[in-house]
Amino acid sequence: MEAATIQHGGRPESGRPPPSRLPDRLLRWGLTGIAAGVLVLIGYFFIRLYLESRPVFSSYGVVNFIFTDAWIPSKDQFGALPLIVGTLITATIALVIGVPVAVASALYVTELAPPRVRQPLVILVELLAAVPSVVYGLWGVFVLIPKLRPAEQWVSDTLSFLPFLGGTVAGPNYFIAGLILAIMILPIVAAISREVMATVPVEQKEAALALGATRWEMIRMAVLPYSRAGISGAAMLGLGRAIGETIAATLVIGNAPKIAESIFGQGYTLAAVIANEFGEAAATPTHRAALIAAGLVLFVLTLVINFVARYFVGRSQRAMTRSVPTGMAG
Amino acid sequence: MTTIAPVAPRRRRTDKTMRGVLLAGTLIALVPLVFVVYYLLKQGLGALSWSFFTSDPSGRFLGDPGGVRSAIVGTVLIVGLASVIAVPLGIGIALYLVEYGKASRFANVVRYFVDVMTGVPSIVFGLFIYIVLVLSGIGGNFAGWKGSIALALLMLPVVSRSAEVVLNLVPDSLRESALALGSPRWRVVARIVLPTAMPGLVTGSLLAIARGAGETAPLLFTAFAVNSTTWNLGNQMNSLPIQIFNDVRQAQSNIVERAWGAALTLVLMILALTLLARLIQRRSRIA
Amino acid sequence: MRNARNLLSLVLAGVLALGVVACGSDSGSSGGGGSSGSSKSAGGSLNGAGATFPLPVYQEWAARFKDKTGTAVNYQGIGSGGGIAQFTAGTVDFGATDSAMKDEEIAAAKKKGDPVHVPTVFGAVTVSYNVQGLQKGLKLDGSTVADIFLGKVKTWNDPAIAQQNSGAKLPATKITVCHRSDESGTTKNFTQFLAAYSKAWASGPGSDKSVQWPTGTGAKGNDGVAACIKQNDGAVGYVEQAYALANKFTFASVKNKSGAYVEPTLESTSAAGEGLTVPDDLRFSPIDAPGKAAYPITAATFLLVYQDVCKAGMSSGKAQSLKAWLDYAEGEGQGAAKELYYAALPDAVHTAAMAKVDGLQCNGQPIKSA
Repeated sequence: MEAATIQHGGRPESGRPPPSRLPDRLLRWGLTGIAAGVLVLIGYFFIRLYLESRPVFSSYGVVNFIFTDAWIPSKDQFGALPLIVGTLITATIALVIGVPVAVASALYVTELAPPRVRQPLVILVELLAAVPSVVYGLWGVFVLIPKLRPAEQWVSDTLSFLPFLGGTVAGPNYFIAGLILAIMILPIVAAISREVMATVPVEQKEAALALGATRWEMIRMAVLPYSRAGISGAAMLGLGRAIGETIAATLVIGNAPKIAESIFGQGYTLAAVIANEFGEAAATPTHRAALIAAGLVLFVLTLVINFVARYFVGRSQRAMTRSVPTGMAG
Repeated sequence: MTTIAPVAPRRRRTDKTMRGVLLAGTLIALVPLVFVVYYLLKQGLGALSWSFFTSDPSGRFLGDPGGVRSAIVGTVLIVGLASVIAVPLGIGIALYLVEYGKASRFANVVRYFVDVMTGVPSIVFGLFIYIVLVLSGIGGNFAGWKGSIALALLMLPVVSRSAEVVLNLVPDSLRESALALGSPRWRVVARIVLPTAMPGLVTGSLLAIARGAGETAPLLFTAFAVNSTTWNLGNQMNSLPIQIFNDVRQAQSNIVERAWGAALTLVLMILALTLLARLIQRRSRIA
Repeated sequence: MRNARNLLSLVLAGVLALGVVACGSDSGSSGGGGSSGSSKSAGGSLNGAGATFPLPVYQEWAARFKDKTGTAVNYQGIGSGGGIAQFTAGTVDFGATDSAMKDEEIAAAKKKGDPVHVPTVFGAVTVSYNVQGLQKGLKLDGSTVADIFLGKVKTWNDPAIAQQNSGAKLPATKITVCHRSDESGTTKNFTQFLAAYSKAWASGPGSDKSVQWPTGTGAKGNDGVAACIKQNDGAVGYVEQAYALANKFTFASVKNKSGAYVEPTLESTSAAGEGLTVPDDLRFSPIDAPGKAAYPITAATFLLVYQDVCKAGMSSGKAQSLKAWLDYAEGEGQGAAKELYYAALPDAVHTAAMAKVDGLQCNGQPIKSA
């Protein structure tokens, strides 16, 4: 038998198309239908959410909704600014605390850890993602808040001259929420950073070492520059995660629809307000529309962030599609 | 040959310091895990007992708060139904993308939208189902199956993305040799592609199920909550995350203790699923 | 690989089997929206949601009612605002609120029918505190309580408090205010009391199910506020008495309209109902009752049902269960309530409530008792 290459995609050479078998056609159309069905579903999702939120946008206008600092459902006022600010503050705190730690652990695991320790460390960091959001909330309320309160009060008192500090420390506050969010985004930021760092060409690293660089210098010269874009992408994915997190945040943020003056004050997030006010909004169309609008704002935020993130990660990492995503819990 | 100059002390110090910093960072990352596990065990183990698993929350204010049987049953049923919906559909989408769509415009649009779905906050899914299914009164009001649908929406993109990765790993040569031997497309998919990818598909699905089991927000106003055990998905149903969420906000210490026990149970269930997934993954690599 | 495939099939088969069993069986308290009602409902279930204020007594009633009739009553505490909303949306069989529906809320509910307020019990809203070194029975009058919640009184040894409690050793601890974050009838009743004694409160936050709190931590439900009080040293909050007693809170003796400092007890709660006149639609509030022995922050709580329950969407079998539940609440329940320190309804109110229950209809006909 000649070692012929397959031509015409396996079709007989005469050029006639093979008899289209029914099962083949069924499979193709079935699967295409499912894929199209998902598009229809998501399209309907968007359209429905948009339509349901229209009442509040038409009464207040998009700009007012986003920029007014007054969320008072009982008086029919729906200015979402305190919610948006609360969401951004907690997410920022989460990034500031979480990303350096995640990147440090990723660097350590890929570059410095002894080989035997590597796999266990990776598994341990990933275990953080196996803990559900509500359990983090439970732990936050009963362990983190009481244990950190004295320290927070001390920081607040001694550093009260700094902005965003000073005043009484409430139990649940922005800082605790940000801290818990940081813990929750650790696994995903670390995992993606690890993937990114693993694709740094070995030649670059060895060249640096051959020139006499210490390990840290090699990391600084070879690994970090290559990984910078990917790490930014990872951080943004973590940001998207932090913004959408609902349950853990609701339990530890204090549920106060205003903008507190210090990071140890109570606030509210977009996701938390939806979870809390769901039940009460059932019969009031404007309140319901406002909550959906909050959900839409949240969703648009995560959409934009994820889009930018994937751009960064894709740019620096051609091999991203080889890895299995590990995002868990929520 | 000149001798290699020793590293200057300042550079060595920086190196040592930064190594220490990176190690410290890694350890800091693990501290919360240790704390959470420690407190879960410390506060939760004491709550576990035979009656904890076999009795329902009594709802009674004074006296025995009861166990979490209805929550465990509810979680198994709701997540089970959600998996039955999300796993086949997710794998189906991935199959389409890998086998037929490949790089076409339509397939890229589908891929993009599936990616978009992964970014939707879970509470927004719950809100959507609440409006579309609960407030409209289709099939009764709050119901377990509505919670399942909200969860399935959340799990679908996760299953699809991991399945697509795994299906892409099946070598094209396998497909082509089967096609060359005259095998119809559907048989190639059923007998070659799927079995080859099965361990990866199972792993991805189990991880998605583990994720779904831990979600609270989609169930808040879809399945709602109920104290008594019910096997009928058409009723309001309890679930572990909702039970924990409700118990966290109570002041009575025996209810809080129950919350810890329920949290421990939930984490163990998720860990079991995750472990199983990783085991399958590892065994398939060796095989 | 084969093992993995077998495992997956096994798991899927198990799940499917579970699903079939679930949909097929009717064990336990199933009987949800799809089931039709039989005329004899020795089983079945009712779903209600609303105020957390009466949650302890409703849960207790539900347990006893189930033993008596076999019907399970599932009640979820989501706050009075949630109760009114879910009742209006028709997603529950009955709602519950401590704050009678406002005119706008009634108008919104009219789509499904005429809402009926059925008062069930009276309860005391305690001013509970968790301060190391402070005993129970701290004397506080309305304007001081208002100033505490306004944030004007910041420490426990403030002169305003000391004045009313000569001889008591007051610690210098900072006051942490705990209040509701959800729409609450308890909030409405508490703020109604505050507004009666403080002009600053009346013109500021005012009295409603949800107000803009000048200071403090927000928590969901009476249970959430109780948890807030428990977790913070120096905390003060307003919770229904059953929650205070269950958590062994210390609570204040509040000055009433006649000038006496009254502790919340079963007697003082009942005393608030004496001489009360109520309107026909039973939308009343016993806050700031004039009696000498009356506890000034006593609230009534209501169950919400539609005048014609079947026209509003209920099956006739369920309507019978609902009537049985309401009869229980107004009957044996009144005695059971006392065990949890909720006061039974005063006679005049009780008679009016029973009349409302008897007047409920199913498709134009009175509901037959099972």
